[in-house]
Amino acid sequence: MDLLTNPIVLYLVIALGAVGVCMALPRRGVSPQLVGGIIAAVAGGLIVLVLSLRAARQGGPDAAPNLFFYVFAAVALGAALRVITHPRPVYAALYFILTVLASAGLFLLLSAEFMAFALIIIYAGAIIITYLFVIMLATQAPEAGKEHLLAEYDTVSREPIAATTAGFVVLGVLTAMLLGGGAQLPPAPAADPSQTRLAQLPRKIEQSLRDAGCLKGGGALARSSLGDPVINWSDRTVQIEGPDGSRTWAPMPDGLELSNVEGLGFSLLEDHPGSIEIAGVILLMAMLGAVVLSRKQVEHDEELKRRRAHQLADAGGAVR
Amino acid sequence: MSDALTLAQQGWPAAFPAVTLAHYLFVSAAMFTVGLIGFLTRRNLIIMFLCTELMFQAAGIALVAFGRYHLDFSGQTFVIFILTVAAAEAAMALALVVLLFRKRETLSADEWTEMKG
Repeated sequence: MDLLTNPIVLYLVIALGAVGVCMALPRRGVSPQLVGGIIAAVAGGLIVLVLSLRAARQGGPDAAPNLFFYVFAAVALGAALRVITHPRPVYAALYFILTVLASAGLFLLLSAEFMAFALIIIYAGAIIITYLFVIMLATQAPEAGKEHLLAEYDTVSREPIAATTAGFVVLGVLTAMLLGGGAQLPPAPAADPSQTRLAQLPRKIEQSLRDAGCLKGGGALARSSLGDPVINWSDRTVQIEGPDGSRTWAPMPDGLELSNVEGLGFSLLEDHPGSIEIAGVILLMAMLGAVVLSRKQVEHDEELKRRRAHQLADAGGAVR
Repeated sequence: MSDALTLAQQGWPAAFPAVTLAHYLFVSAAMFTVGLIGFLTRRNLIIMFLCTELMFQAAGIALVAFGRYHLDFSGQTFVIFILTVAAAEAAMALALVVLLFRKRETLSADEWTEMKG
């Protein structure tokens, strides 16, 4: 077990992955893509195994991520490798959609449901479809009899060995930092710090109290003079008002949490309100820029046009 | 075992151990590396832009994983801005690619080496 978590072994495994990716890149002649893909997959699996062994040693059996993590990670990385190795651009874009779907699965595991579905809708549904349209619009017409041949720039990659070395040096540094610097991370907070934002959602608290059976016979959530609910965060109790106006403390029901969408909404609109405006301006400028750039140039040379019209008229007269 | 197989909201809002965070960060780093290698090696302009999208995607995974570790929603908020920038970049870059394709009838990046000045 100690052998696998040794840094030298880790760098050797990363170098093995580099060899696999380098073999999988398209090149002139026969390229051993399948063999390269298998070698890269074995290397990636070994690194994840090292991480899992470390997790089992440091954090006990519950520290490792669940089974779906391995499935989604394998699909995401395999499809990403296929994006950069497939010689046909349309298939590369379709494999990118597979990467997006697997990343959305990883987001679900990280309890980011809104982002998972936003990713599928925006990336897979809008951005990649735009890419597919442009790939289909901007493809050269094949010469007669050579329809099965691909363009040379798609089948031969540029400097595969140098690029793979550069990329995997980056990966080696990042992975070494993951293994060595993880202990320097500040510890994860024990409870959700955004809990206090629940106080801004009195109707949600009231509904959950009613569902838990704490509000019987016309009781309601007690409000302060400003209209906020009265909450004691240290022992998680909330004040409720009976039908006769008497105020009592009731424990907050279990499972009363900010949901993902509520928390994201608070973060977006309370913590980063200026960024939304900037994002809107960026999208507007991109839209204008795209329209201006891809507009067809319609201003013709007037003199040339008149001469062409004369030529056509002369040719028509000659035939008649 | 059924507990281990719940898909979303697993353990939320309890803490997220650093050793689990490392798994997600490795996937993010590997996907970024693949995108980087693709950007350097492929010679088709559209595939090069697709590889930048791959790198955006990897950064998004890292941001969401860090946000889950710190129980903070800012990571997910930043992924929204990454999506915005990716959409803007796709629109502009593809308009440029269409413009270049109209001039030279090829998508090869090597055709435009004189643009480096």
